Amino acid sequence: MNSAVIASHEDYLSSGWSWRSWLTTLDHKRIGILYTIAITLLFGIGGAAAAMIRLDLLTPHSQLVSIETYNKLFTMHGVIMVWFFLIPSIPATLGNFLVPMMVGARDLAFPRLNLASWYLFVAGGLLTIYALLTGGVDTGWTFYAPYSTTFSSSRVFAVASGVFIAGFSSILTGLNFVVTIHEMRAPGMTWFRLPLFIWSMYATSLILVLATPVLAMTLMLMAIERTFGIGVFDPALGGDPLLFQHLFWFYSHPAVYIMIVPAMGVASEIISCFCRKPVFGYRFMAYAILAIAAFGFLVWGHHMFVSGQSAYAGTVFSLLTFLVAVPSAIKVFNWTATLYKGQVSFQAPMLYALGFIGLFTIGGLTGLFLASMGLDIHLHDTYFVVAHFHYIMVGAAVMGFFGGIHFWWPKITGRMYPEGWARFSAILTFVGFNLTFFPQFILGYLGMPRRYPEYPPEFQVWNVLSSAGSSLLVFGYVLPLLYLMWSLRYGERAPANPWNAKGLEWETDSPPPSENFHSTPLVTEEAYAYARAEPPHG
Amino acid sequence: MTRRTDTRPVVYVLVWLALLVLLAVTVGTAYLSLGWATTPLNLTISVTQAALVMLFSMHLRFAHPLLKIIAAIGFFGITILIVLSLFDVMTR
Amino acid sequence: MADGVAVHAPQFDDAEQQRTASNLGIWIFLATEILFFGALFAAYAITRVRFAEAFAAGSRLTNLPLAGVNTAVLLTSSLTMALGVHAARHGARRALIGWLGMTIALGCAFLAIKAVEYRFDYLEHLVPVLDFHYAGPQADQVELFFYLYFFITGVHALHVIIGIGCIATIAVMASRHTFSPAYFTPVDVTGLYWHLVDVIWLFVFPILYLISRS
Repeated sequence: MNSAVIASHEDYLSSGWSWRSWLTTLDHKRIGILYTIAITLLFGIGGAAAAMIRLDLLTPHSQLVSIETYNKLFTMHGVIMVWFFLIPSIPATLGNFLVPMMVGARDLAFPRLNLASWYLFVAGGLLTIYALLTGGVDTGWTFYAPYSTTFSSSRVFAVASGVFIAGFSSILTGLNFVVTIHEMRAPGMTWFRLPLFIWSMYATSLILVLATPVLAMTLMLMAIERTFGIGVFDPALGGDPLLFQHLFWFYSHPAVYIMIVPAMGVASEIISCFCRKPVFGYRFMAYAILAIAAFGFLVWGHHMFVSGQSAYAGTVFSLLTFLVAVPSAIKVFNWTATLYKGQVSFQAPMLYALGFIGLFTIGGLTGLFLASMGLDIHLHDTYFVVAHFHYIMVGAAVMGFFGGIHFWWPKITGRMYPEGWARFSAILTFVGFNLTFFPQFILGYLGMPRRYPEYPPEFQVWNVLSSAGSSLLVFGYVLPLLYLMWSLRYGERAPANPWNAKGLEWETDSPPPSENFHSTPLVTEEAYAYARAEPPHG
Repeated sequence: MTRRTDTRPVVYVLVWLALLVLLAVTVGTAYLSLGWATTPLNLTISVTQAALVMLFSMHLRFAHPLLKIIAAIGFFGITILIVLSLFDVMTR
Repeated sequence: MADGVAVHAPQFDDAEQQRTASNLGIWIFLATEILFFGALFAAYAITRVRFAEAFAAGSRLTNLPLAGVNTAVLLTSSLTMALGVHAARHGARRALIGWLGMTIALGCAFLAIKAVEYRFDYLEHLVPVLDFHYAGPQADQVELFFYLYFFITGVHALHVIIGIGCIATIAVMASRHTFSPAYFTPVDVTGLYWHLVDVIWLFVFPILYLISRS
């Protein structure tokens, strides 16, 4: 089962080396790699902005950058990280690569739409980066009216256009996944034999498809109002700034589930493999994923408790927000139950997955603090919120992403990464992350507002700790970049199934042939049909 | 997922006539002094017209249940957005 | 693609799977369009609830006769499109091209009538930003009504233009013998898009033109 398989000349990587073969590819695996390259570059830019922010916050007075520049930095950080890193991250990289393989198909349903989605993403990204670097935007990634529509003199229109274009990329990806999962499963692959990663891609795609159009229209309304000086968000004409917030958050709350649900799928795959047992409560896990996606559309008003929204609406949104925590909690319980009496081993993907569970739990629980209207009055717009969402988006989602990249690296590239360095990076990231963001819970509780470049001197010690942590995080993210690149050339060649994992993607070569499988798979066993006997190698 | 039964052209024509009749009705009601009830009535007629177009012209009546669900989810999504936002605006 | 030969793209197992997948794909896309316009309808609904009288006053100033005719035109174009898809299913190539041509003509008529309507609006100083002038009370909110009026009908008209482009493309493909009873998916898919543009107008029309005419 684990004999080393030298990649044949038929694999998808060696089937063409020219620029043209990559830039006009219809192969979902290559498109996944194109996306990975794009988001890595964008992650670097967004991360650089964060580094500048943390450096500037080392001292109570903004000594590194001007206050105007600071506003542009946190906006740039948010815009890039949300729309150009997190939203596409797992779906467009791992999802593109794995969805057809995990269902046993030769490709996605619409390969040309897939390539088009990448070009749209790149176009949106280039426009946004260009605008951010030549003037920037200072509204925050949330573009609240009337500042964005009336008062800001920054490049709002250009950045909004860039995000608008990238939104179509999201929609096409989601559409492709839903159709593929419904229509192109291999014989024997029934819905409840699908890996939970596929369930998570399915739910994420539903959100991508349903929520993104609302963002598109909201950005359009904002941009038109800004251009023509009239619109429904302008209080001077009787318009309602809160209308913007309703429309914006109707997308942006489900968007956070776009960012976390894929990582949940990755976690299930990794944990079952490195415990050598099926995920506990498979059906509940699948239903929970769908429930999170569905309920996620009902809670957006919890971003607006103190914006002027009615207290009655606030109460309804608060209640619904508590409800959406339930399926998430079910998932955490089930991952824990999977670990119980499992044959646990601690390769790098598992370290990332375990970190994911812990950090997701903290992030999720602190979300409940914010869901309580009474507490939110004190915590809204403080660093408590910043810490909460970074625990989910960075602690959980990014660790899930890195875990997935490591887990499937052998499959994607045909090479093993260096395990020692990978474990070190995982731990470094975990420590650095907590050092960066836990002090921010304290800062928020003490009252430090978010998006402020200056603060009272008594907050400095926590800010310094946070900035120190962020320097560790930099290493935690750069190291994998270096050793993964190194492994492409010098890494040990990977067998078809280095982890002895269950799943159709492991039953074909590493790297896979262009058509994924030499013959259409026939599925005869349930998901995660792990036998206890064989441990994972590698 | 594909249609098992074809639709005869005369059905399309009948649907078209029904739509025109409903159009006349909805325009006519705007001239009656119904006050606040005008819009709900107009929207009910719109929903009926939309249903006719979707079921017959867009072949939803023969379609796999999944497609009906997708169409419904689209409208359901708008409903949530409008209802909850209106709830806020009207209870401030 | 030749007459009568059911071909399918390599990622699919057979033509039936391709047809089903394409149908599912277009319906998902239509759902995104419903939500796209839905956000606009939400903006309308919330603003209108706050300024009911101003919106009613604005609505009375819109050109109902032209819009009523336009609605009938669009409904008729939906009929001709449906008949075109029917012709495609039965391999009646000339009939298909004829019906598609009529649909394009009706779509263009819709746009022409809309242009005339816009011109009347302009002459009556109802275009925001350009030279809006309303003598009655709540003029700012009436201007907001017309802002939404032009925004909604403009975005809809954009979709009509795109639709006409798609139908023209289909007509050209049909003239090149691309379609057959075994393969007419692009016609089907374009038809569904066109019908949705119609459905959207069926909601746009009453909320803009029929708020209060008594």
